[in-house]
Amino acid sequence: QLDRGCALHTAVRDGLSSVSSQDVPAERPRAVFHTSESDPAKHTEQHEGRLYNIPLEEVKAVFPHGLPHRFQQQIQTFNEARVMVRKPALELLTYLKGSNLAHPAVRYVIYGERGTGKTMTLCHVVHYCSRQGWLVLHIPDAHLWVKNCKELMQSSYNKDRLDQPLQASVWLKNFKTSNERFLQEIKTQKKYMWGKRESTEEGRPLREVVEQGLARVRSASDAVGVVLRELKQQSHRGSFRLLVAVDGVNALWGQTSLRKEDKSPVSPEELTLVHNLRKMVMNDWSGGAIVTTLSQTGSLFKPSSAYTPQELLGKEGFDALDPFVPIPVPNYSPREFESCYGYYLERKWLQHERGQ
Amino acid sequence: RMMPVRWSRYNPSYLEPEVKKESYQKSLEELTEEEREQMELKAVRPIKAAPPTLSSSVFSDPMICKFTNMMMKSGNKVLARNLMSQTLEAIKRKQLEKYHKAPENEKETIECNPYVIFHQALNNCQPIIGLSSITKGGKTYQVPVPLTDNRKRFLAMKWLITECRENKHRRMMMPEKLSQELLLAFNNEGPVIKRKHVLHKMAEANRAYAHFRWW
Repeated sequence: QLDRGCALHTAVRDGLSSVSSQDVPAERPRAVFHTSESDPAKHTEQHEGRLYNIPLEEVKAVFPHGLPHRFQQQIQTFNEARVMVRKPALELLTYLKGSNLAHPAVRYVIYGERGTGKTMTLCHVVHYCSRQGWLVLHIPDAHLWVKNCKELMQSSYNKDRLDQPLQASVWLKNFKTSNERFLQEIKTQKKYMWGKRESTEEGRPLREVVEQGLARVRSASDAVGVVLRELKQQSHRGSFRLLVAVDGVNALWGQTSLRKEDKSPVSPEELTLVHNLRKMVMNDWSGGAIVTTLSQTGSLFKPSSAYTPQELLGKEGFDALDPFVPIPVPNYSPREFESCYGYYLERKWLQHERGQ
Repeated sequence: RMMPVRWSRYNPSYLEPEVKKESYQKSLEELTEEEREQMELKAVRPIKAAPPTLSSSVFSDPMICKFTNMMMKSGNKVLARNLMSQTLEAIKRKQLEKYHKAPENEKETIECNPYVIFHQALNNCQPIIGLSSITKGGKTYQVPVPLTDNRKRFLAMKWLITECRENKHRRMMMPEKLSQELLLAFNNEGPVIKRKHVLHKMAEANRAYAHFRWW
Protein backbone atom coordinates (compact mmCIF):
# COMPACT_ATOMS: atom_id res chain seq x y z
CA GLN A 1 0.00 0.00 0.00
CA LEU A 2 1.24 3.48 -0.74
CA ASP A 3 0.12 5.16 2.46
CA ARG A 4 2.16 3.54 5.21
CA GLY A 5 3.13 6.87 6.79
CA CYS A 6 -0.32 7.88 7.96
CA ALA A 7 -1.53 11.43 7.72
CA LEU A 8 -4.42 10.89 10.13
CA HIS A 9 -3.90 9.63 13.66
CA THR A 10 -3.67 5.81 13.54
CA ALA A 11 -6.70 5.08 15.69
CA VAL A 12 -8.97 7.18 13.49
CA ARG A 13 -7.77 5.32 10.42
CA ASP A 14 -8.53 1.99 12.10
CA GLY A 15 -11.91 3.22 13.27
CA LEU A 16 -12.79 4.56 9.83
CA SER A 17 -12.78 1.09 8.37
CA SER A 18 -15.20 -0.18 11.03
CA VAL A 19 -17.79 2.61 10.71
CA SER A 20 -19.51 3.50 7.46
CA SER A 21 -20.05 7.18 6.65
CA GLN A 22 -22.10 8.77 9.39
CA ASP A 23 -23.29 12.33 9.36
CA VAL A 24 -22.07 14.21 12.41
CA PRO A 25 -24.52 17.08 13.03
CA ALA A 26 -22.81 20.43 12.89
CA GLU A 27 -23.92 21.77 16.26
CA ARG A 28 -22.73 19.06 18.58
CA PRO A 29 -22.28 20.66 22.00
CA ARG A 30 -18.79 20.36 23.44
CA ALA A 31 -19.97 18.57 26.55
CA VAL A 32 -20.84 15.39 24.70
CA PHE A 33 -17.29 14.22 24.22
CA HIS A 34 -15.42 16.14 26.87
CA THR A 35 -15.46 15.74 30.65
CA SER A 36 -14.36 18.28 33.13
CA GLU A 37 -13.44 15.42 35.45
CA SER A 38 -9.67 15.53 35.44
CA ASP A 39 -9.21 13.11 38.34
CA PRO A 40 -9.01 9.52 37.10
CA ALA A 41 -10.22 8.25 40.48
CA LYS A 42 -13.69 9.61 39.75
CA HIS A 43 -14.01 8.15 36.25
CA THR A 44 -16.94 5.72 35.99
CA GLU A 45 -18.80 4.03 33.18
CA GLN A 46 -20.81 7.10 32.36
CA HIS A 47 -17.55 8.82 31.41
CA GLU A 48 -16.75 6.12 28.91
CA GLY A 49 -15.93 7.43 25.45
CA ARG A 50 -15.19 10.93 26.69
CA LEU A 51 -11.93 12.81 26.71
CA TYR A 52 -10.51 14.32 29.89
CA ASN A 53 -7.92 17.00 30.16
CA ILE A 54 -4.58 16.74 31.96
CA PRO A 55 -2.98 20.12 32.81
CA LEU A 56 0.34 20.56 31.03
CA GLU A 57 2.47 20.95 34.19
CA GLU A 58 1.15 17.67 35.47
CA VAL A 59 2.02 16.03 32.17
CA LYS A 60 5.63 17.15 32.52
CA ALA A 61 5.82 15.98 36.13
CA VAL A 62 4.08 12.62 35.82
CA PHE A 63 5.10 11.52 32.31
CA PRO A 64 8.67 12.65 31.63
CA HIS A 65 9.14 9.62 29.41
CA GLY A 66 5.99 7.54 29.24
CA LEU A 67 3.81 8.88 26.43
CA PRO A 68 3.91 7.57 22.86
CA HIS A 69 5.63 9.83 20.35
CA ARG A 70 2.54 10.67 18.31
CA PHE A 71 0.62 11.68 21.42
CA GLN A 72 3.43 14.02 22.44
CA GLN A 73 3.27 15.65 19.00
CA GLN A 74 -0.49 15.98 19.40
CA ILE A 75 -0.08 17.66 22.80
CA GLN A 76 2.31 20.16 21.24
CA THR A 77 0.01 20.89 18.30
CA PHE A 78 -3.24 21.27 20.21
CA ASN A 79 -1.63 22.85 23.28
CA GLU A 80 -3.53 20.50 25.60
CA ALA A 81 -3.40 16.82 26.59
CA ARG A 82 -6.70 14.96 26.23
CA VAL A 83 -6.93 11.26 27.02
CA MET A 84 -9.95 9.15 26.19
CA VAL A 85 -11.58 7.14 28.99
CA ARG A 86 -12.06 3.60 27.72
CA LYS A 87 -13.41 0.34 29.07
CA PRO A 88 -10.12 -1.56 29.62
CA ALA A 89 -8.73 1.36 31.61
CA LEU A 90 -11.86 1.57 33.75
CA GLU A 91 -11.66 -2.18 34.37
CA LEU A 92 -8.05 -1.88 35.52
CA LEU A 93 -8.89 1.05 37.78
CA THR A 94 -11.68 -0.90 39.51
CA TYR A 95 -9.29 -3.79 40.09
CA LEU A 96 -6.66 -1.47 41.52
CA LYS A 97 -9.16 0.25 43.79
CA GLY A 98 -10.36 -3.05 45.16
CA SER A 99 -6.97 -4.74 45.50
CA ASN A 100 -5.74 -5.80 48.91
CA LEU A 101 -2.25 -4.51 49.47
CA ALA A 102 -1.26 -7.15 52.03
CA HIS A 103 -1.45 -9.84 49.36
CA PRO A 104 1.37 -10.41 46.85
CA ALA A 105 1.33 -8.02 43.91
CA VAL A 106 -1.14 -8.91 41.16
CA ARG A 107 0.12 -8.81 37.57
CA TYR A 108 -1.99 -7.30 34.80
CA VAL A 109 -1.03 -7.79 31.18
CA ILE A 110 -2.58 -5.42 28.63
CA TYR A 111 -2.58 -6.90 25.15
CA GLY A 112 -4.21 -6.15 21.84
CA GLU A 113 -3.51 -5.52 18.19
CA ARG A 114 -1.23 -2.82 16.91
CA GLY A 115 -2.47 0.72 17.41
CA THR A 116 -5.41 0.01 19.68
CA GLY A 117 -4.28 2.08 22.67
CA LYS A 118 -2.38 -0.18 25.06
CA THR A 119 0.26 2.41 25.92
CA MET A 120 -2.41 5.06 26.44
CA THR A 121 -4.29 2.74 28.83
CA LEU A 122 -1.05 2.27 30.75
CA CYS A 123 -0.55 6.03 30.92
CA HIS A 124 -4.12 6.50 32.20
CA VAL A 125 -3.41 4.02 35.01
CA VAL A 126 -0.07 5.68 35.79
CA HIS A 127 -1.79 9.06 36.03
CA TYR A 128 -4.38 7.63 38.42
CA CYS A 129 -1.73 6.09 40.64
CA SER A 130 0.39 9.21 40.77
CA ARG A 131 -2.71 11.21 41.73
CA GLN A 132 -3.39 8.71 44.51
CA GLY A 133 0.15 9.11 45.79
CA TRP A 134 1.67 5.79 44.76
CA LEU A 135 5.33 5.48 43.86
CA VAL A 136 5.36 4.88 40.12
CA LEU A 137 8.17 2.87 38.54
CA HIS A 138 7.47 3.53 34.86
CA ILE A 139 9.67 1.94 32.23
CA PRO A 140 8.61 3.54 28.94
CA ASP A 141 9.72 0.80 26.58
CA ALA A 142 11.69 -2.26 27.58
CA HIS A 143 12.58 -2.78 23.92
CA LEU A 144 14.85 0.26 24.07
CA TRP A 145 17.02 -1.62 26.56
CA VAL A 146 17.54 -4.69 24.37
CA LYS A 147 18.37 -3.08 21.07
CA ASN A 148 20.52 -0.32 19.54
CA CYS A 149 22.88 0.02 22.48
CA LYS A 150 26.05 1.90 21.56
CA GLU A 151 28.02 1.17 24.74
CA LEU A 152 28.05 -2.20 26.44
CA MET A 153 30.43 -2.56 29.36
CA GLN A 154 31.23 -5.54 31.49
CA SER A 155 29.57 -5.19 34.86
CA SER A 156 31.88 -4.65 37.84
CA TYR A 157 29.43 -6.28 40.25
CA ASN A 158 29.04 -9.57 38.43
CA LYS A 159 31.58 -10.74 35.86
CA ASP A 160 29.10 -12.47 33.52
CA ARG A 161 26.72 -9.58 33.03
CA LEU A 162 26.85 -6.56 30.74
CA ASP A 163 26.01 -2.99 31.68
CA GLN A 164 24.25 -0.28 29.70
CA PRO A 165 25.28 3.11 31.09
CA LEU A 166 23.40 5.30 28.57
CA GLN A 167 19.95 3.81 28.91
CA ALA A 168 20.30 3.48 32.68
CA SER A 169 21.28 7.13 33.17
CA VAL A 170 18.44 8.36 30.94
CA TRP A 171 15.94 6.31 32.93
CA LEU A 172 17.34 7.49 36.27
CA LYS A 173 16.99 11.12 35.21
CA ASN A 174 13.33 10.65 34.28
CA PHE A 175 12.65 8.62 37.43
CA LYS A 176 14.01 11.50 39.47
CA THR A 177 11.64 14.06 37.92
CA SER A 178 8.57 11.92 38.43
CA ASN A 179 9.08 10.79 42.02
CA GLU A 180 10.90 13.64 43.79
CA ARG A 181 9.38 13.43 47.25
CA PHE A 182 9.59 9.66 47.64
CA LEU A 183 13.31 9.69 47.02
CA GLN A 184 13.75 11.92 50.02
CA GLU A 185 11.70 9.76 52.37
CA ILE A 186 12.89 6.25 51.57
CA LYS A 187 16.16 5.24 53.25
CA THR A 188 18.62 2.55 52.17
CA GLN A 189 18.93 -0.51 54.35
CA LYS A 190 22.39 -1.71 53.44
CA LYS A 191 25.76 -0.25 52.68
CA TYR A 192 26.57 -0.18 48.95
CA MET A 193 30.09 0.11 47.50
CA TRP A 194 30.55 1.85 44.15
CA GLY A 195 34.08 0.84 43.22
CA LYS A 196 36.98 1.20 45.66
CA ARG A 197 36.47 4.67 47.12
CA GLU A 198 32.84 5.66 46.91
CA SER A 199 30.10 4.12 48.99
CA THR A 200 26.63 4.91 50.23
CA GLU A 201 26.05 4.36 53.95
CA GLU A 202 23.07 2.69 55.52
CA GLY A 203 20.14 4.96 56.23
CA ARG A 204 20.86 7.57 53.54
CA PRO A 205 17.92 8.73 51.37
CA LEU A 206 17.50 6.97 48.00
CA ARG A 207 18.07 10.30 46.31
CA GLU A 208 21.80 9.93 46.91
CA VAL A 209 21.84 6.57 45.14
CA VAL A 210 20.13 8.12 42.13
CA GLU A 211 22.50 11.06 42.10
CA GLN A 212 25.45 8.71 42.39
CA GLY A 213 24.16 6.84 39.34
CA LEU A 214 23.77 10.07 37.39
CA ALA A 215 27.17 11.42 38.36
CA ARG A 216 29.12 8.21 37.79
CA VAL A 217 27.67 6.93 34.55
CA ARG A 218 29.74 3.76 34.71
CA SER A 219 27.80 2.51 37.73
CA ALA A 220 24.37 3.73 36.54
CA SER A 221 23.00 0.24 35.87
CA ASP A 222 24.08 -0.89 39.32
CA ALA A 223 22.36 2.16 40.80
CA VAL A 224 19.16 1.13 39.00
CA GLY A 225 19.52 -2.37 40.45
CA VAL A 226 19.96 -0.94 43.96
CA VAL A 227 16.89 1.30 43.61
CA LEU A 228 14.72 -1.60 42.44
CA ARG A 229 15.92 -3.86 45.23
CA GLU A 230 15.32 -1.27 47.95
CA LEU A 231 11.82 -0.50 46.71
CA LYS A 232 10.95 -4.17 46.59
CA GLN A 233 12.14 -4.82 50.11
CA GLN A 234 10.45 -1.80 51.63
CA SER A 235 7.12 -1.87 49.87
CA HIS A 236 5.51 -4.44 52.17
CA ARG A 237 5.83 -2.11 55.14
CA GLY A 238 2.98 0.00 53.85
CA SER A 239 4.49 3.47 54.05
CA PHE A 240 4.03 3.83 50.31
CA ARG A 241 2.41 1.82 47.55
CA LEU A 242 4.43 0.74 44.55
CA LEU A 243 3.23 0.51 40.97
CA VAL A 244 5.53 -1.14 38.46
CA ALA A 245 4.45 -0.10 34.96
CA VAL A 246 6.41 -1.76 32.16
CA ASP A 247 5.68 -1.13 28.50
CA GLY A 248 6.78 -3.83 26.08
CA VAL A 249 7.37 -6.50 28.72
CA ASN A 250 7.90 -9.16 26.04
CA ALA A 251 11.37 -7.68 25.51
CA LEU A 252 12.51 -9.17 28.81
CA TRP A 253 12.16 -12.74 27.62
CA GLY A 254 12.81 -12.62 23.89
CA GLN A 255 16.14 -12.21 22.13
CA THR A 256 18.28 -9.12 21.91
CA SER A 257 19.85 -7.61 18.82
CA LEU A 258 23.05 -6.82 20.71
CA ARG A 259 26.34 -8.65 20.26
CA LYS A 260 29.40 -9.03 22.41
CA GLU A 261 32.84 -8.10 21.14
CA ASP A 262 33.42 -11.60 19.87
CA LYS A 263 30.19 -11.36 17.81
CA SER A 264 28.28 -13.87 19.93
CA PRO A 265 24.65 -12.93 20.59
CA VAL A 266 23.67 -11.58 24.00
CA SER A 267 20.73 -13.18 25.75
CA PRO A 268 18.54 -10.95 27.95
CA GLU A 269 19.74 -12.48 31.25
CA GLU A 270 23.21 -11.18 30.63
CA LEU A 271 22.04 -7.57 30.80
CA THR A 272 21.97 -6.12 34.33
CA LEU A 273 18.95 -3.92 33.67
CA VAL A 274 16.88 -6.80 32.30
CA HIS A 275 17.95 -9.13 35.11
CA ASN A 276 16.89 -6.68 37.81
CA LEU A 277 13.66 -5.88 36.05
CA ARG A 278 12.75 -9.54 35.85
CA LYS A 279 13.17 -9.82 39.61
CA MET A 280 10.86 -6.82 39.98
CA VAL A 281 8.13 -8.31 37.84
CA MET A 282 8.00 -11.50 39.95
CA ASN A 283 5.09 -11.50 42.35
CA ASP A 284 7.04 -12.33 45.50
CA TRP A 285 6.55 -8.88 47.05
CA SER A 286 3.42 -7.21 48.43
CA GLY A 287 2.12 -3.71 48.75
CA GLY A 288 1.44 -2.72 45.16
CA ALA A 289 0.63 -3.86 41.65
CA ILE A 290 2.40 -4.66 38.40
CA VAL A 291 0.81 -3.42 35.16
CA THR A 292 2.51 -4.43 31.92
CA THR A 293 1.86 -4.06 28.21
CA LEU A 294 2.78 -6.38 25.39
CA SER A 295 4.06 -4.67 22.30
CA GLN A 296 4.71 -6.10 18.88
CA THR A 297 6.00 -2.91 17.26
CA GLY A 298 9.34 -2.83 19.03
CA SER A 299 9.76 -6.56 19.47
CA LEU A 300 12.57 -8.46 17.84
CA PHE A 301 12.17 -11.58 15.73
CA LYS A 302 8.41 -11.82 16.14
CA PRO A 303 5.88 -11.80 13.25
CA SER A 304 3.81 -8.67 12.87
CA SER A 305 0.51 -10.50 13.20
CA ALA A 306 1.32 -11.78 16.71
CA TYR A 307 -0.53 -10.08 19.54
CA THR A 308 -1.58 -12.67 22.10
CA PRO A 309 0.48 -13.13 25.30
CA GLN A 310 1.28 -16.74 24.32
CA GLU A 311 2.92 -15.74 21.04
CA LEU A 312 4.73 -12.62 22.14
CA LEU A 313 6.07 -13.76 25.52
CA GLY A 314 7.23 -17.18 24.40
CA LYS A 315 7.25 -20.17 26.71
CA GLU A 316 9.81 -18.73 29.15
CA GLY A 317 8.06 -15.43 29.57
CA PHE A 318 4.62 -16.96 29.88
CA ASP A 319 5.79 -19.31 32.62
CA ALA A 320 7.52 -16.48 34.45
CA LEU A 321 4.46 -14.24 34.30
CA ASP A 322 2.08 -17.12 34.80
CA PRO A 323 -0.69 -16.10 37.19
CA PHE A 324 -1.65 -12.81 35.52
CA VAL A 325 -4.87 -10.97 34.71
CA PRO A 326 -5.13 -10.47 30.93
CA ILE A 327 -6.82 -7.28 29.75
CA PRO A 328 -7.60 -7.16 26.02
CA VAL A 329 -7.82 -3.75 24.38
CA PRO A 330 -10.06 -3.62 21.29
CA ASN A 331 -10.24 -0.99 18.55
CA TYR A 332 -12.43 2.08 18.96
CA SER A 333 -16.15 1.30 19.30
CA PRO A 334 -18.49 3.45 17.13
CA ARG A 335 -19.22 5.71 20.11
CA GLU A 336 -15.55 6.27 20.92
CA PHE A 337 -14.86 6.89 17.25
CA GLU A 338 -17.61 9.54 17.15
CA SER A 339 -16.20 11.35 20.14
CA CYS A 340 -12.65 11.22 18.75
CA TYR A 341 -13.92 12.50 15.39
CA GLY A 342 -15.82 15.31 17.08
CA TYR A 343 -12.72 16.28 19.03
CA TYR A 344 -10.60 16.46 15.89
CA LEU A 345 -13.26 18.53 14.12
CA GLU A 346 -13.38 20.92 17.01
CA ARG A 347 -9.62 21.25 17.15
CA LYS A 348 -9.56 21.80 13.37
CA TRP A 349 -7.32 18.82 12.77
CA LEU A 350 -9.41 17.67 9.78
CA GLN A 351 -8.70 20.43 7.28
CA HIS A 352 -9.75 18.99 3.90
CA GLU A 353 -13.36 19.93 3.08
CA ARG A 354 -14.22 16.39 2.09
CA GLY A 355 -12.86 15.00 5.37
CA GLN A 356 -15.54 16.79 7.37
CA ARG B 1 9.40 -2.80 -28.72
CA MET B 2 8.88 0.97 -28.81
CA MET B 3 7.53 2.53 -25.59
CA PRO B 4 5.48 5.72 -26.05
CA VAL B 5 7.52 8.43 -24.35
CA ARG B 6 6.36 11.79 -25.71
CA TRP B 7 3.56 11.01 -28.14
CA SER B 8 0.92 8.39 -27.42
CA ARG B 9 0.45 5.40 -29.68
CA TYR B 10 -3.34 5.48 -29.32
CA ASN B 11 -5.63 5.92 -32.33
CA PRO B 12 -7.04 9.48 -32.24
CA SER B 13 -10.57 8.08 -31.93
CA TYR B 14 -9.82 6.91 -28.34
CA LEU B 15 -11.35 9.12 -25.61
CA GLU B 16 -10.06 9.91 -22.09
CA PRO B 17 -11.58 7.92 -19.18
CA GLU B 18 -13.97 9.79 -16.84
CA VAL B 19 -12.95 9.35 -13.20
CA LYS B 20 -15.15 11.67 -11.10
CA LYS B 21 -18.00 9.86 -9.36
CA GLU B 22 -20.33 12.87 -9.44
CA SER B 23 -20.59 12.90 -13.22
CA TYR B 24 -22.08 9.39 -13.20
CA GLN B 25 -24.63 10.17 -10.53
CA LYS B 26 -26.41 12.87 -12.57
CA SER B 27 -29.66 11.77 -14.18
CA LEU B 28 -30.52 12.42 -17.82
CA GLU B 29 -32.59 15.60 -17.35
CA GLU B 30 -29.81 17.52 -15.57
CA LEU B 31 -27.40 17.29 -18.48
CA THR B 32 -27.06 20.04 -21.05
CA GLU B 33 -27.06 19.46 -24.82
CA GLU B 34 -23.28 19.15 -25.10
CA GLU B 35 -23.07 16.68 -22.26
CA ARG B 36 -25.74 14.52 -23.83
CA GLU B 37 -23.82 14.48 -27.07
CA GLN B 38 -20.68 13.62 -25.13
CA MET B 39 -22.41 10.66 -23.49
CA GLU B 40 -23.64 9.33 -26.83
CA LEU B 41 -20.14 9.66 -28.26
CA LYS B 42 -18.78 7.67 -25.32
CA ALA B 43 -21.18 4.86 -25.96
CA VAL B 44 -19.75 4.44 -29.46
CA ARG B 45 -16.03 5.29 -29.28
CA PRO B 46 -13.36 3.18 -27.49
CA ILE B 47 -11.75 4.61 -24.29
CA LYS B 48 -8.06 4.69 -23.30
CA ALA B 49 -6.88 2.64 -20.33
CA ALA B 50 -6.70 4.64 -17.10
CA PRO B 51 -3.11 5.14 -15.85
CA PRO B 52 -2.38 3.86 -12.30
CA THR B 53 -1.78 7.39 -10.97
CA LEU B 54 -5.29 8.54 -11.90
CA SER B 55 -7.48 7.98 -8.81
CA SER B 56 -11.15 8.72 -8.17
CA SER B 57 -10.56 9.55 -4.48
CA VAL B 58 -11.86 12.87 -3.20
CA PHE B 59 -8.51 13.55 -1.59
CA SER B 60 -6.40 13.37 -4.74
CA ASP B 61 -5.11 16.55 -6.31
CA PRO B 62 -3.38 16.75 -9.73
CA MET B 63 -0.84 19.37 -8.54
CA ILE B 64 0.15 17.28 -5.54
CA CYS B 65 0.56 14.25 -7.83
CA LYS B 66 2.79 16.23 -10.19
CA PHE B 67 4.89 17.48 -7.30
CA THR B 68 5.29 13.96 -5.89
CA ASN B 69 6.36 12.68 -9.30
CA MET B 70 9.00 15.40 -9.50
CA MET B 71 10.28 14.57 -6.01
CA MET B 72 10.51 10.87 -6.86
CA LYS B 73 14.00 9.41 -7.32
CA SER B 74 14.68 6.21 -9.30
CA GLY B 75 11.04 5.24 -9.38
CA ASN B 76 10.51 5.11 -5.59
CA LYS B 77 6.93 6.43 -5.61
CA VAL B 78 6.19 4.97 -2.14
CA LEU B 79 8.92 7.07 -0.54
CA ALA B 80 7.95 10.21 -2.48
CA ARG B 81 4.29 9.88 -1.51
CA ASN B 82 5.18 9.30 2.15
CA LEU B 83 7.43 12.36 2.16
CA MET B 84 4.63 14.43 0.62
CA SER B 85 2.06 13.33 3.20
CA GLN B 86 4.56 13.97 6.01
CA THR B 87 5.17 17.46 4.59
CA LEU B 88 1.47 18.27 4.50
CA GLU B 89 1.10 16.95 8.05
CA ALA B 90 4.08 19.04 9.21
CA ILE B 91 2.56 22.19 7.68
CA LYS B 92 -0.77 21.43 9.34
CA ARG B 93 0.88 20.88 12.73
CA LYS B 94 2.90 24.11 12.60
CA GLN B 95 -0.12 26.17 11.57
CA LEU B 96 -2.38 24.54 14.18
CA GLU B 97 0.18 25.24 16.91
CA LYS B 98 0.22 28.90 15.94
CA TYR B 99 -3.56 28.92 15.67
CA HIS B 100 -4.16 27.50 19.14
CA LYS B 101 -1.66 29.81 20.80
CA ALA B 102 -2.88 32.97 19.06
CA PRO B 103 -5.39 35.36 20.71
CA GLU B 104 -8.99 35.36 19.48
CA ASN B 105 -8.83 38.24 16.99
CA GLU B 106 -5.87 36.78 15.08
CA LYS B 107 -7.34 33.31 14.76
CA GLU B 108 -9.17 34.01 11.51
CA THR B 109 -6.08 35.29 9.72
CA ILE B 110 -4.10 32.09 10.27
CA GLU B 111 -4.61 29.63 7.40
CA CYS B 112 -4.53 25.99 8.52
CA ASN B 113 -5.45 23.99 5.43
CA PRO B 114 -2.21 22.54 3.99
CA TYR B 115 -3.66 22.19 0.46
CA VAL B 116 -4.58 25.88 0.34
CA ILE B 117 -1.10 26.80 1.57
CA PHE B 118 0.52 24.53 -1.02
CA HIS B 119 -1.46 26.00 -3.92
CA GLN B 120 -0.93 29.58 -2.78
CA ALA B 121 2.80 29.04 -2.29
CA LEU B 122 3.12 27.54 -5.78
CA ASN B 123 1.22 30.49 -7.25
CA ASN B 124 3.51 32.93 -5.48
CA CYS B 125 6.59 31.16 -6.82
CA GLN B 126 5.55 31.10 -10.46
CA PRO B 127 7.55 33.55 -12.61
CA ILE B 128 5.58 35.72 -15.06
CA ILE B 129 8.26 36.05 -17.69
CA GLY B 130 11.21 33.83 -18.53
CA LEU B 131 14.49 34.01 -20.41
CA SER B 132 15.44 31.93 -23.42
CA SER B 133 18.79 31.85 -25.24
CA ILE B 134 18.51 32.92 -28.89
CA THR B 135 21.57 32.83 -31.21
CA LYS B 136 21.72 35.73 -33.68
CA GLY B 137 24.74 36.71 -35.70
CA GLY B 138 27.09 34.35 -33.87
CA LYS B 139 26.25 35.63 -30.34
CA THR B 140 23.74 34.12 -27.89
CA TYR B 141 21.42 36.59 -26.18
CA GLN B 142 19.17 35.98 -23.16
CA VAL B 143 15.81 37.13 -24.50
CA PRO B 144 12.78 37.75 -22.25
CA VAL B 145 9.94 35.54 -23.39
CA PRO B 146 6.39 34.82 -22.12
CA LEU B 147 5.95 31.41 -20.50
CA THR B 148 3.10 28.95 -20.80
CA ASP B 149 1.18 27.88 -17.67
CA ASN B 150 2.72 24.44 -17.71
CA ARG B 151 6.23 25.87 -17.90
CA LYS B 152 5.53 28.30 -15.01
CA ARG B 153 4.24 25.49 -12.79
CA PHE B 154 7.18 23.29 -13.71
CA LEU B 155 9.70 26.02 -12.90
CA ALA B 156 8.07 26.79 -9.54
CA MET B 157 8.09 23.14 -8.48
CA LYS B 158 11.65 22.61 -9.76
CA TRP B 159 12.98 25.60 -7.82
CA LEU B 160 11.27 24.45 -4.62
CA ILE B 161 12.69 20.95 -4.86
CA THR B 162 16.26 22.02 -5.74
CA GLU B 163 16.17 24.58 -2.93
CA CYS B 164 15.15 21.92 -0.41
CA ARG B 165 17.69 19.41 -1.64
CA GLU B 166 20.71 21.71 -1.60
CA ASN B 167 20.45 24.48 0.97
CA LYS B 168 19.79 22.56 4.12
CA HIS B 169 21.56 21.25 7.19
CA ARG B 170 22.90 17.76 6.69
CA ARG B 171 20.60 16.10 9.24
CA MET B 172 17.39 17.98 8.46
CA MET B 173 14.62 15.84 7.00
CA MET B 174 13.00 16.68 3.64
CA PRO B 175 9.42 17.12 4.98
CA GLU B 176 10.66 19.60 7.62
CA LYS B 177 12.61 21.66 5.11
CA LEU B 178 9.83 21.54 2.51
CA SER B 179 7.21 22.65 5.02
CA GLN B 180 9.46 25.55 6.04
CA GLU B 181 9.95 26.61 2.41
CA LEU B 182 6.24 26.32 1.60
CA LEU B 183 5.27 28.46 4.59
CA LEU B 184 7.84 31.11 3.62
CA ALA B 185 6.63 31.10 0.01
CA PHE B 186 3.05 31.43 1.24
CA ASN B 187 4.05 34.68 2.95
CA ASN B 188 6.06 35.87 -0.08
CA GLU B 189 9.41 35.51 1.67
CA GLY B 190 12.21 33.00 1.36
CA PRO B 191 14.88 31.99 -1.18
CA VAL B 192 12.51 30.71 -3.89
CA ILE B 193 10.66 34.02 -4.14
CA LYS B 194 14.06 35.73 -4.29
CA ARG B 195 15.05 33.57 -7.22
CA LYS B 196 11.84 34.49 -9.01
CA HIS B 197 12.55 38.21 -8.43
CA VAL B 198 16.12 37.78 -9.72
CA LEU B 199 14.74 36.22 -12.92
CA HIS B 200 12.27 39.11 -13.33
CA LYS B 201 15.08 41.66 -12.90
CA MET B 202 17.25 39.91 -15.50
CA ALA B 203 14.31 39.92 -17.91
CA GLU B 204 13.76 43.65 -17.23
CA ALA B 205 17.48 44.33 -17.77
CA ASN B 206 17.51 42.51 -21.10
CA ARG B 207 14.38 44.29 -22.29
CA ALA B 208 16.21 45.67 -25.31
CA TYR B 209 16.57 42.23 -26.87
CA ALA B 210 12.84 41.50 -26.66
CA HIS B 211 12.38 42.12 -30.39
CA PHE B 212 14.65 39.15 -31.18
CA ARG B 213 11.71 36.92 -30.40
CA TRP B 214 9.89 35.78 -33.52
CA TRP B 215 7.03 33.76 -32.02
